[in-house]
Amino acid sequence: MIVNIKKNTMQHSSKYISYAFLLMASFSIFTSSCKKESYALPVASDKLQNEAIKRTLGPNIVGQQIEFAYAMAILPSKGKLVSCTAEASIAGASGTYMENRSFYTAQTGVDVGDTVGTPSVTTGTKTTVTYTVDTSAATLRYFYVIPEAARGKTVTIKFTATSSDGESISTTMGPYTIAQMDMTRNMKVSNDNMMYISIGDSTVYNAEDAAAHAASIDLVYLYRNQPDRAFNHALVAPAADTQYLPGVILPAGVNRTARLLKTFNLQDHNLAPDEQYGGIFIDDVDFQKIDLSASSNYAINLKQDAGVWVETADGKYRAYIFVNSVSSSGTAVISMKRFALK
Amino acid sequence: MKKNITIALAILLTAATWISCKKDLPVDEDGLLITTRRECYVSNFELLGTDFVSVRVGSPVIDTTEQTINVTVQFGADLKNLYPQFTLAQDCKLDPKITGLTDFSDTLNPRKWTVISGDRNIRKSYSVIISVQP
Repeated sequence: MIVNIKKNTMQHSSKYISYAFLLMASFSIFTSSCKKESYALPVASDKLQNEAIKRTLGPNIVGQQIEFAYAMAILPSKGKLVSCTAEASIAGASGTYMENRSFYTAQTGVDVGDTVGTPSVTTGTKTTVTYTVDTSAATLRYFYVIPEAARGKTVTIKFTATSSDGESISTTMGPYTIAQMDMTRNMKVSNDNMMYISIGDSTVYNAEDAAAHAASIDLVYLYRNQPDRAFNHALVAPAADTQYLPGVILPAGVNRTARLLKTFNLQDHNLAPDEQYGGIFIDDVDFQKIDLSASSNYAINLKQDAGVWVETADGKYRAYIFVNSVSSSGTAVISMKRFALK
Repeated sequence: MKKNITIALAILLTAATWISCKKDLPVDEDGLLITTRRECYVSNFELLGTDFVSVRVGSPVIDTTEQTINVTVQFGADLKNLYPQFTLAQDCKLDPKITGLTDFSDTLNPRKWTVISGDRNIRKSYSVIISVQP
């Protein structure tokens, strides 16, 4: 009996110890998880520092800009900024420059620039701004205009800042692949006048000039307001059935065909930068992958925001033509991205 | 107390066994549920161009007795590149499946699709007859 009582007492004791242990463990976890971590202000580096970001999105197209923002800073007690240089691996085209203003965003959300240096000087691959004010921190923007020489290649940009204490720091951005395709924006086409489109020449001709460039005319623009049909604005290959070219007398020699595939609402941001929903970018790979082998040679009833994928008869080019705007007087504004296949 | 726990465990075990032994509902080779429904017809039909905009003129005429769908498409519609869209009776499926652009250019030999009922026992072949707006 005594033995049993002792045994029970021991069992109860060990249970209480376990409960107590669990309670203490829970309490300690609770308190440690709720403990406020002490915060210490980070100590600023006493070295010259820099940081760069690329501000532009989408494919890098020859003739277009790539914009960077390059920030540099040094402790005021150590010195001030002296110069900033951007060096491209392939010299930028005409128009490449660096802002000599450092921007900050005002409360209204507008970027405001303060002049901090001389206008940039570009020599070969290097673009430099020399500081003219006593400043220890600035963010300068660099606009690299993609040159023809960079088509299909990669480009890197090396940013370098120097300070009055003799320090120098660099950061390299890229490599960025430059697209093979090119782009022509805002070509005006009109019914019975500027209506002959050459993808190879990236331009629009009237009948007289089309006759002179007959071998390169790929499409005919026309507008027909037919009450019983939805014809409206159309892009038609010269070799298409004449029912799709009503009333059109083609200039001598204009007889090529093409492959066309109609789309709608494919609002490429490069071709339609003002479009509300134009967040799409058509890139080289889209031209490489699209299959137009079963496509027709006409696209009628085109509206604003419509698009047409085109492959030329000689298989030399694929293009995407976007309809920026149309008018019922028989005019339209079109933009084109073009990719050379051969 | 111990007795209550034992009873609760026994109930849970029974429930788990019952759930695991319940016969699964049958599915077909496409993983679709085979039901008891015997309805087998097309209730609506649409044709979209490559721009995903309808090329239809007027409503389609669906004859569930003759099993034909007559559609008039706009002048200039690219008949080689159209997306057909069928609306079927509940639980039905279509054979062959529509996987992308479809060629309707051979208007003398209309394309055919078979509607299969929910119980997979009834099959009805529909012809899609296209005519182009003059």
